[in-house]
Amino acid sequence: MGKQMTEMLKGTLEGIVLALIAGQPAYGYEITARLREQGFSEIAEGTVYALLVRIEQRGLVDVEKVPSEKGPPRKVYTLNARGAEVLDEFWGTWSFLAERIEQLHHRIDDAQEAGE
Amino acid sequence: MAGKWYELITGSLDDKKAYRRYKARIAALPEPYGTAAKAFERYLMYNGGITDGDPGVMITMLNDFADLWERAAVDQTPVADIVGDDPVEFAEAFAAAYAGKRWIDKERARLTDTIQNLDRKDEQ
Repeated sequence: MGKQMTEMLKGTLEGIVLALIAGQPAYGYEITARLREQGFSEIAEGTVYALLVRIEQRGLVDVEKVPSEKGPPRKVYTLNARGAEVLDEFWGTWSFLAERIEQLHHRIDDAQEAGE
Repeated sequence: MAGKWYELITGSLDDKKAYRRYKARIAALPEPYGTAAKAFERYLMYNGGITDGDPGVMITMLNDFADLWERAAVDQTPVADIVGDDPVEFAEAFAAAYAGKRWIDKERARLTDTIQNLDRKDEQ
């Protein structure tokens, strides 16, 4: 994954993961798999795991331990009310940023065309 | 919570037991997961600085860490899929999730206070 992509994703991955859980509760591997389906193909499972641990520590998700056939129980993450608030805020911030950056992009393109 | 008097000297016995259980889990991991887990553990202990905070936080972190590697071993997820391109970044992100007090926090607070106090002096 390109360095720039990694840097940009760092700021948005939490929101992306909250959005994925909002649709349906999931455990770590499922969330990584959904991210890959969405085209985020090179995100490491450990990165997602660390992020899930962080949002659990911050009280944005409820966690249920579900026994698995082999190995330790799987932790299933469900978005709670606090998490839903943070997700709302994320979408607001995202819309603002996306709009501003898109405007900047067009303005610079237009200026370049005018200059040619 | 009041522990037994000797725990003031030795640290909590429960924490020690929990730590020994964690060590046994890591020791039981098949390769290459065992080597990977130990390498990250070394880094977390060296760099994390979580040890001077709440031991409960550290135990939570270590148990989550053992869960991660046991899961990976059972699912046979390649180590590279777990940690990505940059093992250091993974270790940092993992440690950052735990709210243990780090020694650097004291310095951060001191810097912030000093700069805020400058403003106050200006206003006088």
